[in-house]
Amino acid sequence: MIRRKQTLAAAVVLSAALALTACGGEAPASDLSSVKIMAPFLEAQPPTADGAVQKKLEELTGKDINITWTPNASYEDKMNITLASAEIPHVLVVQGKTPGFVKNAEAGAFWDLTDKLKDYPNLSTTFPEVQQNASVNGKVYGVYRGRNPIRAAVMFRQDWLDKLGLKAPETTEDLYKVAKAFTEQDPDGNGQNDTYGITIPKWGALGTNSPYDMIETWFGAGNRWTERDGKLVPSFETEEFLEANRFVKKMVDEKLINPDFATFDGTKWNEPFFNGKGGIIVDVDSRVSVLINLFKQANPNDFENKVGFVGSLKGPDGELHAHPTDGYSGFLAIPKSSVKTEADLKNVLTFLDKLNSKDVAVLLNNGIEGVNFALEDGLAATIKPETPEGKVVNTDIKSFAQLGTNVTGNNYYPVKQASEYEQKVFDDRVAVMAEDLKSAVYNPAAAFVSPTYVAKGAQLDNIVADARIKYLAGQTDEQGLKDAIKLWNTSGGDKVKEEINNLWQDNKK
Amino acid sequence: MTAPVVEAKASERAATLPPAPARRRGFAVHFAHYKWLYLLLLPGVLYFAVFRYGPMYGVSIAFKDYVPFLGVNGSPWVGVTNFTDFFANPDFPRLLGNTLILAFLNLGIAFPLTIILALLLNEVRLSVLKRTVQTLVYIPHFLSWTIVASLSFLLFALDIGPLFQFVNGLFGTNVDILSDPNWFRPLIVLQEIWKNTGWGTIIFLAALATVDQDQYEAAIIDGAGRFRRVWHITLPGIRSTIIVMLILAIGQMLNTGFEQIYLMTNALNRSVADVFDTYVYFVGITQGAYSYSTAVGLFKSLVGIVLIFGTNWLSKRFNQSGLF
Repeated sequence: MIRRKQTLAAAVVLSAALALTACGGEAPASDLSSVKIMAPFLEAQPPTADGAVQKKLEELTGKDINITWTPNASYEDKMNITLASAEIPHVLVVQGKTPGFVKNAEAGAFWDLTDKLKDYPNLSTTFPEVQQNASVNGKVYGVYRGRNPIRAAVMFRQDWLDKLGLKAPETTEDLYKVAKAFTEQDPDGNGQNDTYGITIPKWGALGTNSPYDMIETWFGAGNRWTERDGKLVPSFETEEFLEANRFVKKMVDEKLINPDFATFDGTKWNEPFFNGKGGIIVDVDSRVSVLINLFKQANPNDFENKVGFVGSLKGPDGELHAHPTDGYSGFLAIPKSSVKTEADLKNVLTFLDKLNSKDVAVLLNNGIEGVNFALEDGLAATIKPETPEGKVVNTDIKSFAQLGTNVTGNNYYPVKQASEYEQKVFDDRVAVMAEDLKSAVYNPAAAFVSPTYVAKGAQLDNIVADARIKYLAGQTDEQGLKDAIKLWNTSGGDKVKEEINNLWQDNKK
Repeated sequence: MTAPVVEAKASERAATLPPAPARRRGFAVHFAHYKWLYLLLLPGVLYFAVFRYGPMYGVSIAFKDYVPFLGVNGSPWVGVTNFTDFFANPDFPRLLGNTLILAFLNLGIAFPLTIILALLLNEVRLSVLKRTVQTLVYIPHFLSWTIVASLSFLLFALDIGPLFQFVNGLFGTNVDILSDPNWFRPLIVLQEIWKNTGWGTIIFLAALATVDQDQYEAAIIDGAGRFRRVWHITLPGIRSTIIVMLILAIGQMLNTGFEQIYLMTNALNRSVADVFDTYVYFVGITQGAYSYSTAVGLFKSLVGIVLIFGTNWLSKRFNQSGLF
């Protein structure tokens, strides 16, 4: 009996001690020797904490780093849950201005960094308009993660194009002609009518850089919002929006687009292209190299000139309205509940500043020189054959790149492509995108967050997004599409417009 | 019925106790006598207290404007705004309609099918065949909805899916079954039947095994055919099981199967596919409108409670035993 009591007492003391240490873990040490980060990963496996990249990162920044890697697919859910929990990291990768984030930010969950970033050389951005885009009505709640602003491209089977003796499309009208030829003129030469022009996957949501969004921008509908008669209106309220969708519908009706575009699985998007079913993909330009790699894997001796591409297309008005993204992909935010004082904040910002220094940027994006890459003419060439250590680094940096901010431009090395052909295609891509940048149509309302939109924007946009797909599929006519836009307005869209316009006017002053 | 037996046993035991002299001591004696039974009960009570009743304080966010950063206690109260917003929302009638239609379709078609399949299996006299069929119909239950959805996408794929060709050949049509709103509900019910009917027969088969065999012999001597025997002996024999299962099914009815519907939804069939569960996920988790979606979920639970009590009442009304 006595022994049992002793055991019990020991257990009580032990659990109390555990509880104490748990509390100790929550309260941030003032020197923040250990930085906790939450970030998404897109690979099959997250990097391990004892990997070479993390070790090197800790060495370069002088901090113990503790990263919670979270699968990209459920990141938003996990982030919202984390914010509601007691275990909040010091640095949080936020993937965008989602309603959940905005609500938390406006309740004071994150440090306002608007006037603070300029004190840090690597965090003071050289692209203020992108930082403005990433802000919540002008308030900067995080260090944005820079992305190429121009990514829209039309990819097509170059071998089919050559066989039919066609030119690469320059205008949307050309796109129609090529799609029609790819559908009707037997581009694969097997004597059967088994090909179609454009492959579009299940991708309906508005303003997500879907093929529909890109084509609408090319037609001159603007990019999410556009200025008409001194006011901002949503792109879908323009005549050009209807025109663009008539154009897409015509292609659907003539079977130039895969008929299952409303349900086709996006992860199989490359398959019809590679298998010679659908000859055109409208997406971001990085898919070009993915496609080339597919052909290369299948036949390393004959993969050149299978994939051709162009950037944004000229609209029916003869003008080029290039489709840009917002130039960022979320940001690194600093929660107030884990970083409690200004001194701690300085500490974290200094860490983030280091994270964007040349050394660390190279580590996060290129890897470790001599282990997985070698420098050749200012390009990072992957060391072949891959050593076991090199392989781990190559895999890990795909996840660690998620921590890169690059707000002062990409200060790591461009990757040397595997072959001369691929290097040429890559250089072409850079050149085309740089050219398109001159005609980029930015979203004038990117920085503005309207309260009504936060509350029910996604449901509102779904009204129009679903109507768009229904119209294209022939389930409703143009009047139905217009009615849906009216419904968007009466269900709360009117209020969104008013709020966005007020914010826009205030910001102009 | 088992209840009277238990009561009888309890009174038997009570009789062996010394008579309780005062009411005050009644409970103590009662407790001392049954302490092991109460101990056995404890884990269950703890489970419900910790995992079922404890978290219910979180339901309070349905009446607040919940911001994770401020916490459940720190978020401001907003009264019933979330509920009034929901009822005023144009989505509300659609969601309620979709949920109820799918629920009643599942209940009206899948539930009787389970009983019919159990009856059919029960009539199979060749035991090898019976057991093989039983095993085969149980298998789909163990496949996840993701797999069922993928299989459906393969089988009903536009132009090339074998079932697409079969259905459209049968009706002489050319509809995309996966995106046509008219086909959404049949598809969901069909999947539900395929996946869960076999599994559902287990309890009915167990009940069927308890039906008195003498009655069948008597009926055969009286010249009753198979259908008469099923109608007059088998079905009345498992009536109470059917009622209990029906009440339980109705309790689960509004849980229309989030995964299944989420996976089968697309832009073209969303108008008939949106149900409470997918809406709560879409609005609550992906848009961060926790309070609003909690209010929606709470409303769904209330409808569920009304349905359970309603069925129970009806069942007692028609002179059957209820669940409680």
